[in-house]
Amino acid sequence: MKKTLIHAAAIVATAFMAAPQMASAEDLVLSIGSRGYGQMVEPNIEAFKANNPGMSVDWLKVSDVPGDSRKLYVTGLTAKSPTPDVFAIDVIWAGEFAQRGWLEPLNKHFSADELGAFNQSFLSAATVDGSVYAAPLYVDGTHLFYRTDLLEKYNLAPPQTWEELIAASKIVMEGEDNPQLYGFVSMWAKIEGLFMNWLSFTGGNGASFFDADGNVAVDSPEAIAATQAMVDILHTHEIAPQSILNMRPDDARTLFQQGRAVFLMVQDFVHAPLSAADSPVAGKFDFKRNPYFEGHADGHSTAMGGWLLAVNANSENKEKAAELIKTFTAYDRQLAAALDANRAPGRSDVYTDAKLANAGILAKLGANYDVGVVRPSAQTGNLYPRVSEVMQLEITNALHQRKTPEEALGDAAKQVKEILGQ
Amino acid sequence: MNAAYSLDHRRQMTGMSFVAPTVLLIAIILIYPIIQSVVLSFGQSSIDGSEPYEFVGFAHYAKLMGDERFWNSMAVTFTFTAISIPLELMLGIGLAVLLNESFRGKGIARLAVLFPWALPTALNTLMWRWMYNADYGLFNAVALQSGIVDRPINFLGDEWLAMFSMVVVAVWKTSSFMALIILAGLQSIPRDLYEAGRMDGMSRWQEFTQITLPLLKGPILVALIIRSMDALRTFELPFNLTDGGPVIATESLSLYAYKVIFDFIDFNFGAAIVVVQFLVIFAMSLAYIFVLRTRN
Repeated sequence: MKKTLIHAAAIVATAFMAAPQMASAEDLVLSIGSRGYGQMVEPNIEAFKANNPGMSVDWLKVSDVPGDSRKLYVTGLTAKSPTPDVFAIDVIWAGEFAQRGWLEPLNKHFSADELGAFNQSFLSAATVDGSVYAAPLYVDGTHLFYRTDLLEKYNLAPPQTWEELIAASKIVMEGEDNPQLYGFVSMWAKIEGLFMNWLSFTGGNGASFFDADGNVAVDSPEAIAATQAMVDILHTHEIAPQSILNMRPDDARTLFQQGRAVFLMVQDFVHAPLSAADSPVAGKFDFKRNPYFEGHADGHSTAMGGWLLAVNANSENKEKAAELIKTFTAYDRQLAAALDANRAPGRSDVYTDAKLANAGILAKLGANYDVGVVRPSAQTGNLYPRVSEVMQLEITNALHQRKTPEEALGDAAKQVKEILGQ
Repeated sequence: MNAAYSLDHRRQMTGMSFVAPTVLLIAIILIYPIIQSVVLSFGQSSIDGSEPYEFVGFAHYAKLMGDERFWNSMAVTFTFTAISIPLELMLGIGLAVLLNESFRGKGIARLAVLFPWALPTALNTLMWRWMYNADYGLFNAVALQSGIVDRPINFLGDEWLAMFSMVVVAVWKTSSFMALIILAGLQSIPRDLYEAGRMDGMSRWQEFTQITLPLLKGPILVALIIRSMDALRTFELPFNLTDGGPVIATESLSLYAYKVIFDFIDFNFGAAIVVVQFLVIFAMSLAYIFVLRTRN
């Protein structure tokens, strides 16, 4: 993963430096990771070229680890680099980047009707002072992936609740008696994904980041209990390996793919590599909504993320850059992404398309977005990175048992309130 | 008189014109950023110039003094430096003395020792991170299969083990640098001193402690300065090995400053961290230089 980063850094550095000289007036540079949307990038660029003859588009394959690509963007954008012209941004950056003046408002390029077709909660995350700064490309939620063969072997139903998941893990681990096999793996390294994880756990226990009055509520009794459950999964039930605390999404995915884990909770993108022809678990896994805690069947346990496309405020070809975004977010291209690559559309109108009704995976994904929980990026704006860092740090303190969940979340609440001026 | 003055003057001018480009270059790439960092650390501004610079005095420094995370990164940096430098020095001296002996394959041995130093830190570190990995790593595979442990050791997931792991990589990598500088010093020690010593019936150990070590003081101090400065600024190592984790147990000053500047996009507070780091390293270098002067 790091190698890709270095690679990407080199490419971006070269592109940033070389762009002014090499760019003919028509050239556009598009920056997006290859893991999340890679399958669709080339066909979409071809579709764009068909409508814009003579234009060439360079695809800058940046890292799909959000923190990594973010660093590249921050460096380039603070230096007012004109490239990339179009780039994919994590939904949590939209408000912040817009506030910093790095993004071109899309209102002059998109009609109100065109904007109305998008997923409105994602669009609102990219709206600052009434202007829209990015167009939703796809939704990437988190799900629980599980080994169907192992659960069948022990006559276990896919778990609805965390209590069931813990019990099932123990049965399988005991039955298989393989020290290399773990019950549960996920992304618990101190990264953004850990915060998503925590939102899934706490949401599944009826907790939420802000209470109804908009006050920080990260230390509510429900949140503390859910955090305690995370600690117990690791230290009491021991169904997760200690190394889960170093795992990023792909580390956890690799273990699961090697057949070394019963349950995996990460973002939807893993579906493609897990079901690839050379995957050892292809045909032996399925996925479902993230578990919730007993008595909280309506808890919002699906932590949601997603990506939007934005135009660089310093791009030398904003008109065509916006045109490229229109191609990527056109109805038929979004439908194609849903059918061909299982990417949940950023437009709401695509979900009701008849062709999607038969696409099992996507229908399943979409239903779980109803119990979605989004990160508090819209409310926190350009303070979001600090808020997320505090949460990551304090959750990690609890998972490492340096603090009890109550202490850690109490400290987190204090710091978040201070950052937000509450 | 007049002619002599003008000749002197001309000489001076010639000399200065030779030095000027270098001075200018250093001023641009070295002094300007230092001044800029200091200016940033005393103000509140946005890096792209959209907000005007506002002088806030010592506000960022006051905040820094009460910032637990800053003190943690300070402690991490000093712990790392204090443990790794003596180990590197001892290993470096040992390697240098060994490589100074004449034996078959000496050239290859010298090359092999330099290898870790020649590779970029980022690459080295990724290689080690892979070996340390709890689920796929080399060390755990060996330890598990030979039955030394029955559960994988999570090298990078435990506070002290992570620090230990980081020190191991640093020592592995930079002992050879110490060895290189000390080896150069060793080769400048006249052979006849040893011959005289042998005539007086010195043992090998006495030779080492009474001839070699005293004459190596210069090179050792140089190696210490360079390596200590490096260690106090360490960045690629924790960035690639642990990302400062677990929690913040290996978050060095540079890594913390980097996070403040690039993750939180707070250049002013970040600049304050960097300036304090600069002062610490500057003070340490002065101390070393003072020691060097008095010894010579």
